[in-house]
Amino acid sequence: MSEKKSSKGIKDIAYTLLDKLGSWLLIVVIAIIMTFSSDKFLTSANFINVLRQVAVVLIAAIGISFVILGGGFDLSTGMNATFAGCNAALLMKNLGWSVPAAILAAVFIGVVLGTLNGLVVTYLKVPPFIATLGMQYIIQGLIFITTNSMPINGLPESFNVFGRGYVGVIPVPVIIMLIFVAIGQVILKYTKFGRSVIAVGENETAAKLSGLNVNITKVAMYSFCGFCVACAGIVLASRMSSGQPSSGGDMALQGIAAVYIGGTFKGSIINTMAGTLVWGFMNNALNLLNVDAYWQKVVLGIIIIAAVLFDTFRANLAAKQKK
Amino acid sequence: MEDILRLSKINKSFPGVKALTDVDLTIKKGEVHALVGENGAGKSTLMKIISGAYTKDSGEMWFDGKVVEQTTPKESEEMGISIIYQELNLIERISVAENVYIGRYPFKNGLLQWGEMYKNAQALFDEFDLNIDAKAIVRSLTMAQKQMVEIIKAVSINAKVIIMDEPTSSLSSKETESLFNIIRKLKANGVAVVFITHRLDEIFEICDRMTVLRDGHYVGESEIKDITKNEMITMMIGRELTQQFPERSSEIGEVVFEVKNISDGGDKVKDVSFGVHKGEVLGIYGLVGAGRSEAMRMIFGVDPKVSGQVFLDGKEIKIHSPRDAIKHRMGFITENRRDEGLFLRSSLSANVVMVALNKIMKNGLINYKKEYDATDGYIKKLRIMTPSNQQKAMYLSGGNQQKVVLAKWLFSDSDYIIFDEPTRGIDVGARREIYQLINELVADGKTIIVVSSDMEEILGISDRIIVMHEGTVAGEIKKEDFSQNLVTEYAVGERVDQA
Repeated sequence: MSEKKSSKGIKDIAYTLLDKLGSWLLIVVIAIIMTFSSDKFLTSANFINVLRQVAVVLIAAIGISFVILGGGFDLSTGMNATFAGCNAALLMKNLGWSVPAAILAAVFIGVVLGTLNGLVVTYLKVPPFIATLGMQYIIQGLIFITTNSMPINGLPESFNVFGRGYVGVIPVPVIIMLIFVAIGQVILKYTKFGRSVIAVGENETAAKLSGLNVNITKVAMYSFCGFCVACAGIVLASRMSSGQPSSGGDMALQGIAAVYIGGTFKGSIINTMAGTLVWGFMNNALNLLNVDAYWQKVVLGIIIIAAVLFDTFRANLAAKQKK
Repeated sequence: MEDILRLSKINKSFPGVKALTDVDLTIKKGEVHALVGENGAGKSTLMKIISGAYTKDSGEMWFDGKVVEQTTPKESEEMGISIIYQELNLIERISVAENVYIGRYPFKNGLLQWGEMYKNAQALFDEFDLNIDAKAIVRSLTMAQKQMVEIIKAVSINAKVIIMDEPTSSLSSKETESLFNIIRKLKANGVAVVFITHRLDEIFEICDRMTVLRDGHYVGESEIKDITKNEMITMMIGRELTQQFPERSSEIGEVVFEVKNISDGGDKVKDVSFGVHKGEVLGIYGLVGAGRSEAMRMIFGVDPKVSGQVFLDGKEIKIHSPRDAIKHRMGFITENRRDEGLFLRSSLSANVVMVALNKIMKNGLINYKKEYDATDGYIKKLRIMTPSNQQKAMYLSGGNQQKVVLAKWLFSDSDYIIFDEPTRGIDVGARREIYQLINELVADGKTIIVVSSDMEEILGISDRIIVMHEGTVAGEIKKEDFSQNLVTEYAVGERVDQA
């Protein structure tokens, strides 16, 4: 009898751990395997390297988290980020704007484009997938028009700080990333806007009947997404010290993948961070194990699907426990 | 005449509810048979057992002289029983002919014979003098035309019994007339029609015989020519009130909440006006489709209204959205709490504070201590059974979920609360608790409107009852005049007060 009870206790603890840790568990598993497989893995240099690599995607993924939590979707984020980087570069290089002015203007354009997404989705009732797919092409076209599809090089040294600078041993992009995580978490957990986003995403009718301003919430989450991805685009341009018209194409899907791998639906931006880190550490591990770059894509694709399956499985277990 | 369909001693239970007890039904070949009963009498359950959508617990069924074991909906259709539900079962994006022949498309050498399909479907429509193009996309048809398509579909599979569940509820009187013409043709062809309706006049116009159900029991059957409307109403309602309602002693004050001439511009809500006194529970009763919920949704600003005014304490207030209604301290507990009232994946506490987030803010940020304290208060006050204030709403029982929705409106300081079907899907014990809570709210000076299709509930909980019929207020009944007879007479349109 007592034995049965204790084994049930262990089971309970295991379920709770599984439920609470989620994708962090994946990171732990990767870390354990890699510690034994490669002596280069468990070093502070390697960890900082991984953080630096995920910084740009994570900054964008914070914004993407809000859109997905709110029941929306945004395919245009990669192009929006690229556009911001190119715009900042163009303004500095061709028009001679100061670094802060160029950044502000580029981010502002990003917010406007995000807001446009929100308006089209909310008021014209175009499904988000289609609206943002269209927006992606529109922005891509604008990028080619404004840059003539040529990289913009030779940016001022003070601009490069955001992507290449260090504070002590910590890279500046990592610091920016952590600030965004903190801001995202505060907005989601401690503001009316954050509550509204979750409510609208979960049940739009109930949100409307509860007196929440559903339309403004929906538009604002796309605006905020535009803000985050434009900032990510600036960091990326700074890191490459160049406005690259073809740089951020993959970012939209990586950001979405991070949200799903991390299980952000549980209502925390920390999950988005975990999802991004799974991606980062997996890449890192495959590199250290000298897996062919092409095969890395295949493995990462499998991880996305497996992570969501794992999450469903975990949710079912949790539901069973509650009953 | 021979029997085509016979059911004997049918029993069916759902968890916590006995839906049918020893129900008999006999349908003769080529007759139009009315199935009559109030809301919840068991008509729909019985139909679903006939069609194979539900499994009966016990009882026997004969079709065309043969015993029928449990069937699937598809098998019973092949056997010759078609059912036309209120919410029609057509695929909107494809053509009329495809819908008629769905699952039975004519193939030749593995290719679909479009020409043949269109021709055959059109021939059927022509035979019944229906002006419907077999190539038309279903979406472009009117409600009445879609219903005709369903009937023709039933004809095309040689149905011997066609069951129509309130087919006239969304039809105009002209459309109803053409439906009746089709029913007469079906009858002439030897097809039996089971006709479910709340409209007694229609029964006298089109039906040959009828069976009455009440609270899941068989009450009786009769030839239509041998019965009067009053006898029919007596058969429908002659039950004893069994449920206990808690006593209430509240003081009823002035009229504080008033609506005038609410209309949707269509048929569902027409010129609805009523007033509610302070400390009063106003009951609003009506049969399915009478426009009760629709009127409430317009008052609360969920759905747009074409005309109408709302007054609080004699002053007109403008309500264009639920936000406006909430600003004026109104609350609305909808009939569908899972889809419209709750955030099922969110915690209990997040649900409770959703309407009044401002009350848990501190220095511009949400204060979780305030949220949890407020929620714990309501868990205690409303006796919500839950392991913690962080339990997800989906894991609570129906009664506790309803209390969470109520807590949400109480936390937002609502003084005028509309309860739409407050005890739907809630077991008996929790029901009594909800009634008790309504009494406590009234004692606190709140003004309550209870919308219900449950006769016992409306008689038990209300201080005054408004009865709606086909979108209008048919009458008002004071507490001293409460009777099932009177309520039903208003509800079926037999009695109308001129306002």
